[in-house]
Amino acid sequence: MEGTRIPSSHSSAPEGTKVFESPAALLPQPCQLVIFGGTGDLSWRKLLPAVYNLNVDGVLPSHFTVVAFGVPAEGTIDSDPDEYIRARARDGISRFSRQPLDEAHWASFARSLFFVQGSFNDTRAYEQLNARLESLDQQFGIPGSRVYYLAVPPSLVGHCVKHLQAAGMVRDPGDTTAFTRVIVEKPIGRDLESAREVNRVVGASFAESQTYRIDHYLGKETVQNVLVLRFANSIFEPLWNSKCIDHVQITVAEEEGLAQYDPSNGEIIATRAGYYEGIGALRDMVQNHMLQILCVVAMEPPWSLAPEVVRDAKVGVLNCLRPITAADVDASVVRGQYIEGDVHGQRVPGYRKEVRKSFEIMGRELPKASMHSTTETFTCLKLFIDNWRWAGVPFYLRTGKRLPKRVSEVAIQFKDVPQILFNSNPDMQLEPTVLSVRVQPEEGLAMRIASKLPGPKIRIYPVKMEFNYASGFGASSPEAYERLILDVMAGDATLFMRRDQVEAAWQFVTPVLERWEKVGVRDLPEYQCGTWGPVEADRLIEPDGRFWRSL
Amino acid sequence: MTERAAFAPSGSVPAPLRAVEAELARQMKVLQGAGEYPIHSARMSNLVIFSDNRERAESLAAEVPDVVSIHPARVLLVLGEGESGDAPISAGTLVRPRQSKAAADACFEMITLHAAGAATARLPFAVRALLVGDLPINLWWASNQPPPFAGAFLFDLAENAQQIIYDSSGWLDPTRAVASTAHWLEGVSKGLPGGRWRVASDVNWRRLKYWRRILGQTLDASAPGAAAATATELLLEHGPHAVIQAWGLASWLTRRLGWKVKAGNVELGVEIRWVFDAPHGAVAVRIKRHPEGPSEVRQVRLQYRIDDKPAALVFRPLDATRLEVVTEGIASASRTVSTQPLSYAELIGRQLSDRERDPVFTESMATAQTLARSLMR
Repeated sequence: MEGTRIPSSHSSAPEGTKVFESPAALLPQPCQLVIFGGTGDLSWRKLLPAVYNLNVDGVLPSHFTVVAFGVPAEGTIDSDPDEYIRARARDGISRFSRQPLDEAHWASFARSLFFVQGSFNDTRAYEQLNARLESLDQQFGIPGSRVYYLAVPPSLVGHCVKHLQAAGMVRDPGDTTAFTRVIVEKPIGRDLESAREVNRVVGASFAESQTYRIDHYLGKETVQNVLVLRFANSIFEPLWNSKCIDHVQITVAEEEGLAQYDPSNGEIIATRAGYYEGIGALRDMVQNHMLQILCVVAMEPPWSLAPEVVRDAKVGVLNCLRPITAADVDASVVRGQYIEGDVHGQRVPGYRKEVRKSFEIMGRELPKASMHSTTETFTCLKLFIDNWRWAGVPFYLRTGKRLPKRVSEVAIQFKDVPQILFNSNPDMQLEPTVLSVRVQPEEGLAMRIASKLPGPKIRIYPVKMEFNYASGFGASSPEAYERLILDVMAGDATLFMRRDQVEAAWQFVTPVLERWEKVGVRDLPEYQCGTWGPVEADRLIEPDGRFWRSL
Repeated sequence: MTERAAFAPSGSVPAPLRAVEAELARQMKVLQGAGEYPIHSARMSNLVIFSDNRERAESLAAEVPDVVSIHPARVLLVLGEGESGDAPISAGTLVRPRQSKAAADACFEMITLHAAGAATARLPFAVRALLVGDLPINLWWASNQPPPFAGAFLFDLAENAQQIIYDSSGWLDPTRAVASTAHWLEGVSKGLPGGRWRVASDVNWRRLKYWRRILGQTLDASAPGAAAATATELLLEHGPHAVIQAWGLASWLTRRLGWKVKAGNVELGVEIRWVFDAPHGAVAVRIKRHPEGPSEVRQVRLQYRIDDKPAALVFRPLDATRLEVVTEGIASASRTVSTQPLSYAELIGRQLSDRERDPVFTESMATAQTLARSLMR
């Protein structure tokens, strides 16, 4: 079903500015958003606040509901299930929403928020869900269009789509009266084989045009702004190649570890151990977020902004990645695990201790393989894109948990100027020009250039020209999930991963995972919490005469 | 162990470490008020100032506005009271307009960090999280403990710093300190891994700028066979806490003159004496301390022979803005060079953007080290 074109994005922009918007941008259409795992953490922290913000911004379709589907924690529902989810949504919005909770908006939002209780493996639950959705279609004047957001563990994705299909809840993609779309959360599999299996299972029930594989990093303003920077400014694209660029660094640094602690008593209050242990940084971050960012940075100019054209350009990058063979792994990839250290003045435990404590708290037996876990909480790698544009330019990627600060950025480092004129003094080294795109926490751009210091002598000092989204445009950027949910309702898949993209990304990282599994070391390189990773990370980059950026 | 009170310079607002950036942003907003033009934070670098003495840290806090008026920076003033009481890491924040007419819409930000006892060793973690990315990092080591003796703590604090600024004035145990400095400087000047630039700068060396100028110009201009070529004694006099300053000057001068040290001895708190081998024979070099008065080099006297008669070049301050040289023993007009008296904040402020390696400084420190070792034999 085709959508209607709209002229601008949902976020308000200052008057006189040209708002980037794909010509293919479509109007969100009346539908019901069904959140599988509606009682879960993602829903509470991100999804419900995101939909609330869309409501406040007035960009949701007039005929719209949110239906949370799932199993609440025991004893949390006293009477009305809808009131249960409304209370939970209100709590999540109060804590995490970009915009403060406004009673008037909340009242209208709450009226369109419902809950259906049921297990994802229970056929009857799907029948009940369908009945409720049909009833709400009638009540809200919705033509039967549905967006199913699968905010569930990867192991449940297959069950959900099969049950949806079996319950007759998936429309034909050619249906012109209403649509069915499914949003699949990462991780899509845990290696190439399992990713293909997830894609096969989802593909058996939903056509590719109905499938939206979400990577919230691609919904961030700055990631999209890389396209604008490259293709809406005439100065950058001519430099965007191996002639002028020395190397590129992409960093996703997290402050958080596996567990969150109550500051008053130091007890664990939340943990991601169930998901993260055995997954690690390469699968959790590199395979999806970081390679997707890489695609945006390195892709060839698309000939249009139509979703398939942009996605073709992105997958072109993945197809050009020089494979890391088993023999290359040790020289090209470093992994590490955090040990006890210091974050914000507090002593925090190492990863293995957190895993043990987390399983205790979850009431689950610690798997044998986790006794001496070799799950990497840090990884960095050097990769090359073997095409005409990027020949010989290394791309350095690094990500880790419990690093000194939460910061994600893409840095384009330009080549050094020749060692003549201002760069001829052996007693003073010129810093190279760097363009950095800050993805979080404060989205923005910065350009570091050399400048003359005032005074009679020629003395050169690096200065930074900065643009900050919040202060520049005077408004906070929409959360990534807001943009992406809206895009699904509008049928715009530009910012979502296509099946071939996901599989190409897995194809790239799988040899590394296989090599690690084969080597099976007992101890990984270690780094203290609150530092920038193991020394081995420096040894990856320093022999090239380069170094990790100070962030 | 007793509990140490948190360090809170005037105007600083306490904030949990996790909330420091948010508190800075809040103060910035307050400063903006309803103003028509946006206030922005002026930063050319990160300036990490470390002190291990509370009174000193308080005086440093008062000097920060003057420093950043010359070189805008995000300032992290770190007080680590390693051996006095116990206190966990605490933070304070301060945003103020810069004291510069040319940049009335700019402000500076200062974060204070404090810890005592065992928590001091963890301060580098807090610093690392508060640095502004992609800006040069300067570490100002404002401690009486010489950097070569600071060990792993300085190593951690100076991680990724392109410049380490220290002030050898007032160092404890100067002989041992000077004996280790050249070696330490050599390590620093090797730079950071990956070919990154790093330099160490002594504020005391900057103070000697005009002394070196007048000495160099005078000795360069003197006729062959005169002054340096017939020198018999070099005497440097200094005030309290300025022995290393005088030592640095003596090292620089003797190296320029090509003299080689033979032996030395020290009379604690009074005088240091060396005997040098010069091309024309032995020369005595003395560094003499005045128990009172300004903490600086007070006079340099080069005694020599001309036509078999004793003469001397005497270098000394004429007033606050001039150094003069007079000749004793022969009729000659005095000559002067103009100096630019700089406050401590100005010295630091200028040093922050002066990151060029100075081979003359490192060579002079190598000589100073040789002189120190001659005293330790």
